[in-house]
This record gives sequence, C-alpha cells and structure tokens, in this order.
Amino acid sequence: MRLPDRLEKLRQLFFGDIVRTFGWTSLLLLLLLAVAPAKHFFADWHRYQRGYERLISKRSDAVTLRRHFEPGIQQIWLPEMGVVDRCTTCHSALKETTLKDVTTQPYRPHPVIPHKPEEMGCSICHRGQGAATSVEEAHKSTLAWEEPLLPAKYLESSCGQCHQQDLKGTPQLNLGRQMLSQYGCVHCHTIKRPDGSVITGTDDPPSLAHIADKTTREWIYAWLKDPQAYSTTATMPNFRLSDDDARDISAFLTSSSTPASLKVVQASLDEAKKVKDNAALQTKAASLYGESFCASCHAVQNAAGNLVGGNVGPELTKIGSKAKPEWLQAWVRNPHDYDPPTGMPHYRFTDQEVGELTGFLLAKTDADLLANVHLEAPTPDQIAHGKRLVNDYGCASCHEINGIKRPENFAPELTKIGSKPVNQLAFAPGVPHTLYDYIGAKVKQPRAFGPSLKMPQYTFNAAQIDALVNALLSHDERALTMPAAKTVPALPVSHYEPAGKAGQLINDLNCFECHTINGRGGDMAPDLTWEGSSVQREWLVQFFRNPNTLRPALIRRMPKFNLTDAEINTLTDYIMTVYQSPKIDRDSMPLAGYAPGQVELGKQLYYSKYGCQACHIIDTKQDKGYIGPTLTHVGSRLTAAWIYGWMKDPSMLRPGTQEPKRNMSDEDARALTAFLMSQKGSEKQEAKKR
Amino acid sequence: MSTPDSKDFVARVGSDQRKSPVRVAFVTRRTSAQVKAHDESIVQSFPEVLFRAAIAVQVLACILVLISLFFNAPLEGLADASHTPNPAKAPWYFLGLQELLHYFPPVVAGVLVPTLVVLALIVIPYFNINIEAEGLFAKDRDKRLKIFWAVSIAFCIFLIIFDVIVALVPTVITVALMALAATTPANSPSAFRRSLAAKPLSFWIMSWFLFELVVLTAVGTLFRGPGWSWVWPWSGPGGVK
Amino acid sequence: MTTFNKYFDELRETKVWRSVFRGGTGKSTLRNSMAIQQNVFLHLLSTKVRKRMLEFNATWYLGTLTLGTFGILVITGILLMLYYHPSVPQAYADTKDLQFVVSSGQFLRNLHRWSAHAMVFLVFAHMFRVFYRGAYRPPREFNWVIGVVLLLVTLLLSYTGYLLPWDQLAFWAITVGSNIASAVPLMGDKVRFLMLGGHFVNANALLRFYVLHCMILPLAALFFVAIHFWRIRKDGGLYARHSEPDVVMTTAPARPPL
Repeated sequence: MRLPDRLEKLRQLFFGDIVRTFGWTSLLLLLLLAVAPAKHFFADWHRYQRGYERLISKRSDAVTLRRHFEPGIQQIWLPEMGVVDRCTTCHSALKETTLKDVTTQPYRPHPVIPHKPEEMGCSICHRGQGAATSVEEAHKSTLAWEEPLLPAKYLESSCGQCHQQDLKGTPQLNLGRQMLSQYGCVHCHTIKRPDGSVITGTDDPPSLAHIADKTTREWIYAWLKDPQAYSTTATMPNFRLSDDDARDISAFLTSSSTPASLKVVQASLDEAKKVKDNAALQTKAASLYGESFCASCHAVQNAAGNLVGGNVGPELTKIGSKAKPEWLQAWVRNPHDYDPPTGMPHYRFTDQEVGELTGFLLAKTDADLLANVHLEAPTPDQIAHGKRLVNDYGCASCHEINGIKRPENFAPELTKIGSKPVNQLAFAPGVPHTLYDYIGAKVKQPRAFGPSLKMPQYTFNAAQIDALVNALLSHDERALTMPAAKTVPALPVSHYEPAGKAGQLINDLNCFECHTINGRGGDMAPDLTWEGSSVQREWLVQFFRNPNTLRPALIRRMPKFNLTDAEINTLTDYIMTVYQSPKIDRDSMPLAGYAPGQVELGKQLYYSKYGCQACHIIDTKQDKGYIGPTLTHVGSRLTAAWIYGWMKDPSMLRPGTQEPKRNMSDEDARALTAFLMSQKGSEKQEAKKR
Repeated sequence: MSTPDSKDFVARVGSDQRKSPVRVAFVTRRTSAQVKAHDESIVQSFPEVLFRAAIAVQVLACILVLISLFFNAPLEGLADASHTPNPAKAPWYFLGLQELLHYFPPVVAGVLVPTLVVLALIVIPYFNINIEAEGLFAKDRDKRLKIFWAVSIAFCIFLIIFDVIVALVPTVITVALMALAATTPANSPSAFRRSLAAKPLSFWIMSWFLFELVVLTAVGTLFRGPGWSWVWPWSGPGGVK
Repeated sequence: MTTFNKYFDELRETKVWRSVFRGGTGKSTLRNSMAIQQNVFLHLLSTKVRKRMLEFNATWYLGTLTLGTFGILVITGILLMLYYHPSVPQAYADTKDLQFVVSSGQFLRNLHRWSAHAMVFLVFAHMFRVFYRGAYRPPREFNWVIGVVLLLVTLLLSYTGYLLPWDQLAFWAITVGSNIASAVPLMGDKVRFLMLGGHFVNANALLRFYVLHCMILPLAALFFVAIHFWRIRKDGGLYARHSEPDVVMTTAPARPPL
C-alpha cells in the first residue's frame, strides 16, 4: 500500500466518522482539564513541604519533628486583627528550636521574640501577603497586593503599630520618633497617634517677631542659604533658596520685626567689650561659663573640631557672628524677657557676670561666615516678594512671624503614611517602587521628586533616614484599626503646674527642661516627683547653694543658679512638703542612732551578701563601682525611710530604675539602712563644701 | 401564506423514504414562483449536526482551557472608594461608550446613543428597504446622492465641532467607500466596485456602525491613559513619558 | 470498534435504557429523527438540516459556539458559587482564596473570566455575521429581535459579574458604568439607586449584582435561548441563501450566478 493511501486509511480510522472525531476531541479536552489539578499539585508549597520532610528525616530528632509537622495548608486566623496568615505552610520550622543551625529558608526557626506567632500572626510585623501560598505572591509586591515583605531594617516599625511608648528593643523606632518631633517634621505634617493625640514638636523653633533685635540681616541671609554652615547641629533644614530669594526673605523678616523690651545695662556692655578682646579676661570668663554648667545644654566646637557639650540649647561656636551685644547681654541676664517660653533658665547673674559671659560669647566669631554677604537696603518690592516666599515655604508653620498666620495643614497629613497605596505615589526616577524606598528617598532628597516641591533638604545620615522610615511606617491603617486590647498607648501628656511662689521659681529656672515632676519634664536629670520623701532638707539647701554631682562620670551637671537664701527656702519648703510619696513615711525611721551592731551587720551585708560595691562607691580608695551613684555621703543626703523602701523594692519608688530588687528580709533591709545612714562623708569634705 | 378559499388539493403525510421535503407553493395572481434549488441534500440533525456542534464547542473549550492555564484573570487591590485609579475604565465592551462620554454629555453618549443603537438593531428586519436589499444608488441616483452628501457632510461637521476625531476617521472612510460605490457604473470591470455598488443602505449603516464600534473600543482599551489622555500602548504603564 | 459497538447496541436494547430514552434503537432515518423529536431538549431543534449549512463557512458555528461558552460559564459559575460569599470584604478574600487555597480555583476563575469575554465577543460576531448573511429577513425578523435581547442579556451578565471579585478594577468599572445610568433624563438617580440598591457602589450593590448574575439573568438567558432555538426550527431552519424565495435574485443581476 502506498504511503498516502495508508495515511488516508489512518485518517479514516480516527476521523472517518463524526462520532469518532467527537471521541478524540473529548479525549483532548479531558486531558487538558487534567492539567489544572496537576499544576496545582506542583505548587510552591507542596515542593517546600516535601523538602522539609527530606530535611528532618536526616536529623537525630526526626521523630519529634515529624510529629510536630502537619502537611497541607496551615494558617493562623485572627479575625479581630484581620489576619489570615498561611506563612507556616512553607515556614514549617518556626518553632523548632532544635533546627537553629538551619540557615536555608523557608526552614529557619524564628528568633526569640516576646510575641507568639499564633497570637499575632506573621504579616502584622513582616507585612507581605499572609494569605498567599506562593513565594512570589506572599513576599513581593503585586498588582493585587502592594505591600511586600518588610526588609529587616524596617521591622521595628511594626512594633510601633501597637507600642506607642519607646521600647528597649527598638532603638531605630525610638530614634525615628524622637526625630519627628526634634526636626520639626510635625510642624508642617500633622501626625496623629491611633488614640487621636497629635504628635508635637520638641524643637521649639524661635519666634521671629523681634528678630532684628537679636541678629543682623546679613546673618539671616547666610543662615537661610545654609543653616549648617553656621552650626552643623542646626535642626533648621536647607530650603535651597536662590540668592535673590534669601535676600528678599531676610528683607521681609527684618522689616516686619518689632522692637522687644530688652533691659540694656551699659556696665554689662562695657564689660563685654573689655572681655571680648582680652585674652586674660577671656580665661576668667571661660571659668564662669564652666562653673555655670552652660555646657550641660550648649555645645561648642573645640580646636579638634569636635562638639563638646549638650544638645538641649543651640550650638554656640559662632554665636559672636550672630548675636547683637545688646541682645546677648539681655538674654544672659534673663532670657524670659525676650522669649517667655524659652527653655533657658534664668540665672541670677550680676551685671558684671553678665558682661563677662557676653564678652566671652561675642568672641566666638567666624570671619568667613559673613565675609561675602553684602546686602543693599531692601526695596518695597523685595520685601513684598519676601513675604510671598515666607507664605509659600510655610515658614510660619514653625516660626512666629509678624503679619503671617500659621498655616493649617501646610503639608500632607502623615497619619496613614505607612499604608499609603503605592500606585498613588509619584516616584522619582531610580527609586524602587516600594513604600519604604519612597519614604526613604523623599526624606533623603525631597527635591529629587520635583524642583517645585517645597519640602526642604535635611542633612540626615543613612541611619537617621532608616530611623525616620521606621517611625513613619508605623503610622499605618493597621495601627489605627488594632483592637484596643492589643495596643500600648503613649504616656499621657502631663500638664502639671507647680503652685504658688515656688511654682513661679520652678518655671523661671526651667526645672522641667531637665527634671520630670508628676509626668511633666525632661529626662536629663532625676525625676523629682518624690524628692521630698527621698532627701533630707539640709542636704537640699546645700545642694541648691552649690550643686555637686552625685555621679562623677556624667558630663551634664546641675547648674548653679545663684539663688538667694529666701528663694532656696521657698523651693526647699515646697519640695519637702509637696513632693512626698504616699508609700514612704518619712518619720517612721530615725535618721541616726542605730546600734553599732546593726551598722556592722549592714556593712557585712553590703560587701558580702549583696555585693553592692559592684555598682556603688563608699570607700573611695577601694571601690570601683561607677554604675550607681556614689554613696559616701548618702547618710546626710537620703532619708532612712527612703533607703529602707528602696532596699525593699526600688522599682516601686522609681519605675524603670536599674537597681535590682533583691527580695531582702526586713532585718537585712533595716541593717543596710543603718549602715548607709552612717555614711555621712568625712568632716574635711563637709568643711570644704561650706 | 394565505389559505385559498376553495380547497383544490389534498394534504398527505410524508414518509421518511423521501430524503428531502417537498415544497408546496401557492401561486397567487400577483407573484410568480421562482424556485432556485430544487433538490437540496438534507442530513439528519442526529448525529451529523449535534456531533459537529459538540466538536466545535469542544475545540473552543480546549482553546479556552489552554488560555486559562497560562493567563491568570486580572485581580487588583481590594475595592476602595477613596482611591480612584486613573483612568477608571469600564469593561472593554463598554469602552466605546466611555470614549464617547469623553466628547459628549452623558445624556447623549450614555443614554441616547445606546438606546438608539438598540432600537435601530431591533427595527432592522421590519423595514422594507432592508429586505429588498438593492444597491443604494441603483434607483433615484441623483436624489439619493444629494441626500447622501448632505447627511454625510452634516454629520462630519457635527463630529468636527465636538472634536471627535476618533469617530471621524471611520466615518470619512465609510463615506469615501460609499462615494466610490455611487460613481461605479453598472458595467465596471472591477468586481470589487461592482459588489460595492450592489450594497444596500442597511449594509452601509451596519458596516459604519461596526467600524465605529471596533475603532472606539480599541481606542478606549489601548490608547487611553491617566485623565483619559491619549497614550501609546507601547509607552508602558502610566504612559506619561 | 465493532465489539464496542456490539456491546453498546446490546446496552441500548436493555429494558432500563429503553425506559429512559424513548428514541429506541437502530440506525434508520426514523430513529435518528426520533432521537431529536423525542428528547425534551433536542426537540427544539430541526430534525433535518440542509447539508451545505453544516460547512464551517456557512455559519462559522458562531451561534453554537456562543451556546458552548454559555455552557462553560454555567458549569464554572456554579463551582465558583461554592466558594463565594457576596459580602464586603469577604468577596475579595474569597476571590484571593480561590487563587491561594482552593484546588484549581485559579483555573476555574480564569476559565470563567476568559469564557465570559469570549461569549461577549462571539455574541457580537454572531450578530454581525447574521446581518451580513441577511438571515434576519422575514420570516426570521422576530428571532433577530430575540437575538438583540440576548445580546443585552449577555452584556448585563458580563457587567454584573464584573463587580463580584470586589477589587479596584471591579469597583471602578461598575462606578463608571452606573454613573452613565444616572444620566438618564428626569429619573437618572432613581435608575441608579434601583441598580445599586443605594447611592454608591457598596455591599447592597454587590448583593444585587450577585443575585442578578447568578439567578435572574441566567434564567432570562436560558428562556430566550430556548425561544431562539425553537424559532430557528419554526422559521424554516437555518437561513440558507438561494434556497428559498429571494427577492435579491431578481434585482441584482450583477451578481454572478451560483
């Protein structure tokens, strides 16, 4: 038979009859339909589960591991949090601590964390698409799910969804949150916490209402052009202004400035002039600057280029190029005259001292700063243009400026920035299309997203940017919808105001800048809420007169305010009467008169049973403990009742203290109290102090 | 077919021995019988038609199954009334309408046009002119040509006023073809032109409608980006480059 | 093959088979006709068909294929209904779960979606094909009208189904569509309210579209498809050119003879 005939016969056999053809197409359709379940069988998670079974079969504890392992799709379902996480389908070994050495994903056990996966799910912290069962869909950004897995460096942001207070384990998040307040982000952008409270700034940008009294137009110009050229630690960002724009804004600011009521004392000015150009007088003034502990708050660049001092107040390296002498001497005398809400305390300096310090500061100049700034007298057009620019750039969001209203919601609200849909973002070229990359790039270089954007340029390093991204990502939709039982709200803001004359003094000295009392104030110095229960009156009076540090290792110290005796009495009386702990009965224990045997027993307990010398110093020659305060004078400083209470439970008196709770018996505590109360310092030191 | 007054025939039950049915025609005075095909060959629906239909459906099913195995149905993020995608597009078969909405007020593009289209489709078989199906310009040539030009030019001007270039292009091409048909002599050597000349009015309207439908839908689907602006399909997602 | 045929014939002779299928056995023309006439579904169709109408070129099988896609849609649609809740936002989660956990769920949804698009396309193609063949002419004019109704039903089926995944694509497509409805003069907002069960596309609209998509519109489609097929038979079978009195032939001499 010829080949074509054979083929024809074959065709007849298979397709000769319409019913036969139907049979073949039916078969083809059935075969194709069978592919779909086959495709399902070769899904990612089937493969990973088979891989896991192979992995554990080779291990010594294979039987236990196999008993823990459940094949098929696994899920963690938490309806009240909207969690359907099937991650454990492939990540089978999350809880298998014996697999610690396994490094290949998806079989790595989870590091130890305070939460259980079955209570929190996975996607609440890691993001990604929890419900997905394929690698791509679960981890990457897709058209139907724009929230890819968070990189490890942004994981802390997820803690911030529930925890509104700082956590020990989230340094990046804590830093980012602090930066949001410190760098003035929240002046332009409103950010609300899930409880509805608005995040407020801590940077306290100065009022510009009397700016012409304080500084020159040339300095304003130079500052606007590049704030960091004046001070590397300046929080004011760079608005990338053109020369003309900076000229016009400086023109507007000086012309809109009104005179402040400054107390100008000619004697102080004369003294300042003398000190400014005299090296010997400079040295003397420098020691006054040191004794007043100005450096606790203000930093100055030393010869090596390092900043020395605190960052509470502005850096003073080039203050002489900025401040006018009349303003500076008035400011040093009483800063509240110029700026009532300022954080700077009112030192009681004499006119002579004011002059010395003013002269000392005026000498701190930088010849280069204003060398190239030459400004003509402003025209009305320039002033009008400057005003327009001030409005455009939202300067009044931060600064008080005469004639400009503070704009409401100048920049977009960021309360839900952490869950902003990616398809609504306009990305700058080269920025990967993820939310965290967008935020990072925007913070790093805002104007790269378009030259017309108003957001200024900050000088953040990579770690700071990551910290900010963490803080911003934590403000997302989930944080707002999290069930209340799961959240840890922020500490409520305290509006505590001390009363009476003492209250006026406390505000005049700005104690709250460093100390916290009843929840209000800074964390630089000890909490004073129970100070009256804690210390002896005599010691407190001495301390106000001549503040002596309790912890020699610290640079920041309590300044000497030169208070009068009457003022000291007012303050001390108030503290001893009002700042009392209900848990301490000051009169329940004698301040002295313990039996020698008890003191001796206390000493033994101190050195042997409890090993207190590891952290504290009593014998200055032998002890090397620098973690806790020195206890050489503790007997003349603290009350016996406080020490006894402290021995029993330190964290009850000061939550969060490092002092461990030792579960002492009453006898031990009493003996230790007796021993510590006997530590009153040597007579010689006492005499020197007076 | 009307029943004659007097019965002069006998009705008989046919048997299946005859392969094809016998056509019975009543010839009245005005018409004349004209049977073109006398003996059509006829097949049984079972099995010939049914199995053929089943095969056709199965082949289509195979194609659809293959497509479904390799191309996933689109799915985007959860519906969110506060985030409008740009552009928000209707299903593809309504994109022709959405394209019209871009030019005309909603009452015209969204209500009037679709209603008219549906009505026009319904009445097609009820108009004699559609049934007779003779060449548009075969009779009354001059008068019809005048009407044709008047209507065409008026419609084109209307489209230009509303700046509907997308709809204008198919219209102009259709009008050009109709003009070609109108100028074709009966004995034209070109078979294409002869067939054009034989097309009735309904053909022209329907073809123009189909042309517009395809062009508008294609433009709405492929060439429209953010803000319903014109984008090229190859310039990628977002389109604004 | 012959053995198989033998057994099959024997099967058809059994009491049970004969009680189910009234057509009986044998291969005669009568039997073949009975297979159509005596079947509740098939009797809608003609018993005999002109042979040349079987050729692909005659009809392109567009009507048949449209019915085929409808069949696929009914089957996959019923299976999809097993996994779907018409509520917000569960509908979206269910659509996701089809992809993530339901065995071959993604395939089912794909097949349903692509078949739906194919059906809309085929319905349009069928309509234009019928028009260009002139198959709408009397006595088939009413079947053409039913065809137009079926076109509208098909569009509505596809449109209502579009909302069910409850994703951005669905939500905004329906929003755009329902905004058009509100342009109806005088009662536009009423029409829109009736359509959505509210002033906006929300959970009510989803439920309404679900009922329309899974119940009302498929029944309407079935109803009209039945009439459509039955009318083909009653109107003289598939329209075949030159086989019946055709006025065209007398007035178009330029056309070459068949």
